[in-house]
Amino acid sequence: MAEVIQKKLQSELDKYQQLQKDVNKSMSARQKLEAQLTENNIVKEELNLLDSQNTVYKLIGPVLVKQDLDEAKATVGKRLEYINGEIQRYENLLKDMERKSEQHREVLSSLQQEYQRAQGHPVGKV
Amino acid sequence: MTSSHDQMAATGKVKRSNDLPQDVERLKEEHRKVVKDCRGQIEHWKKVEKDYESLQDRLRTLPNKLSYDIMVPFGPLAFMPGKLVHTNELTVLLGDNWFAKCSAKQADTLVEHRMKHVKSALDDLQKTVKNFENRADFTDDLEKLTGSTGDFVDIREEVVNEEEVTKGKHRLAHKPNSKPKQEYVLKLKEENGKGEGDKGSKRGVLFEKELWARLDELERQEELQDERYRLDSTDTNGEDTTSSSSEEEKESDSGNSVQVNGHPKENGWVSSSSSSSSQSQMNGTNGSHPEEVEEADCEETSNGLPTIYFSHTVEPKKVRINTGKNTTLKFSERKEQKEQAKRKKKNGKGNGHSPHENYKIISPADIYRVFVDLVNGEPIPRKSILKSRSRENSVCSDTSESSTADFEERRAAFGRSLSHDDATHSDTSDGITEEDSTTGSIPHINERFEAFTGTVIEKDPLPSSIPHLTIAPPALPTIPERKLEEVGTEMPQEPPKRMSKFKTTRLQQK
Repeated sequence: MAEVIQKKLQSELDKYQQLQKDVNKSMSARQKLEAQLTENNIVKEELNLLDSQNTVYKLIGPVLVKQDLDEAKATVGKRLEYINGEIQRYENLLKDMERKSEQHREVLSSLQQEYQRAQGHPVGKV
Repeated sequence: MTSSHDQMAATGKVKRSNDLPQDVERLKEEHRKVVKDCRGQIEHWKKVEKDYESLQDRLRTLPNKLSYDIMVPFGPLAFMPGKLVHTNELTVLLGDNWFAKCSAKQADTLVEHRMKHVKSALDDLQKTVKNFENRADFTDDLEKLTGSTGDFVDIREEVVNEEEVTKGKHRLAHKPNSKPKQEYVLKLKEENGKGEGDKGSKRGVLFEKELWARLDELERQEELQDERYRLDSTDTNGEDTTSSSSEEEKESDSGNSVQVNGHPKENGWVSSSSSSSSQSQMNGTNGSHPEEVEEADCEETSNGLPTIYFSHTVEPKKVRINTGKNTTLKFSERKEQKEQAKRKKKNGKGNGHSPHENYKIISPADIYRVFVDLVNGEPIPRKSILKSRSRENSVCSDTSESSTADFEERRAAFGRSLSHDDATHSDTSDGITEEDSTTGSIPHINERFEAFTGTVIEKDPLPSSIPHLTIAPPALPTIPERKLEEVGTEMPQEPPKRMSKFKTTRLQQK
């Protein structure tokens, strides 16, 4: 009986850890996106400080490619929107994963209690 | 692995009673970590700022010459002599693989823009560092308190200027003991000063007793001051009621027992409740001016008592007003309210329109702002007509529960009369006049129960034929007494039915 519970506990724990790893991954991806967001905001503001007399270049690989100022502004704007959308997506993902990890946590704690009862340890109920 | 996990859980449950000091330690560790991280980041950003500044210097001097003779880096290990040409043409990285060709001055502008961001990041970090340092201090206090002798905490307020502490008129006639008490304060301070030098804990106990006695006296003083303010105060602003009542509850909860929480603001609250000045109460009730408690530091005196030093910030002058049910509100000066109203509306009009703006009534608060009595040259706000006190004049005497209950019923009853009035005045689209009519007709019911002895100054006597008021734009629109009498005579029949109800309820309550 105790071994069965132990096995169940083990599997739940594994699942929970996997979920935690996923959460961490999404969290770091989201942080990267945040950094890109601030950077693109700065670029947008600085492009507004320039006038059309300055030539704008984009670094594509090893090449600096000339761009039109207005085109550049449009591109940066679109990129900002894309980043915002991605952040939203990651937010939702994170929320979902948090919920799932909560459930797992509860299951884990209940299994733990069962296991301890089976082992005959004095348990102070949480 | 699960067994160790379980063991940890089991042991965790067993040693719960000893958790507190370890948890506090852990909390302090976390605080310290955050502070260290923040400091590291601050260092980093400061370095960035310095780099940008030197870059700006270089940009300003660069176009001075057409070309410079320099040693050009040639690979990672060598240099070779060369020239720096086109000194005004710069290719600037804007971020995210975007480049722009600019002149030196334009680059300078870009660098300025970036420095702004860096500075704001630095400011944020400084703020968090301060916050966490405060938090760490307060957890220290908490630990000391829980470990120290009993629950006695020495809360001291260094009073620089005696006048600032006690606001309002000082009616010494009521308080024959006021001066001796001040002396007592000084005495205690001296003794406490001595006590710090001593190392005996016995004297600490004596001081504690004295302190408690002093606290009691200060409490009594505060109550007397409250009464004094009530006598002085006048009408009020209705919208602050809820905030004030909630603040009152807070005060009553914390009471005079010292509860030091880890939370800085609450700590300030507790300190304020145990300090003598009613100013602290006023500090809390006005939402527009949040209480700023200067650092409530905690120090350990050598007599074993933890000490919290507390000081007030000076608040702008406010008029204390009393509403029913023994709550007190503050009505800030008219100018401030005007400003607030302006800010709320986010009105883009120029200053030339300001007199008209003052009469523009959008929210109920505006009514109180606009209808202000001029008493002795000072604008005293009217109290809400739906409060119990409005049937009296500015001198408030009776704030008992029964009177407020009565008045609420009256209010409910004559809400019906109001609707009748509103029906007749429904054609007036002007919100001002409608509200005028309500304010005009409401006091008439007061007449039924008490003669209206308000100090209303008639600025513009209105023609009696008009059933509702219009605002003539003098400095202060007020409701003339003539109108009241007239309206009073118009409605003699409706109240009697309600009178009976009020009477019955009043009798019931008695």
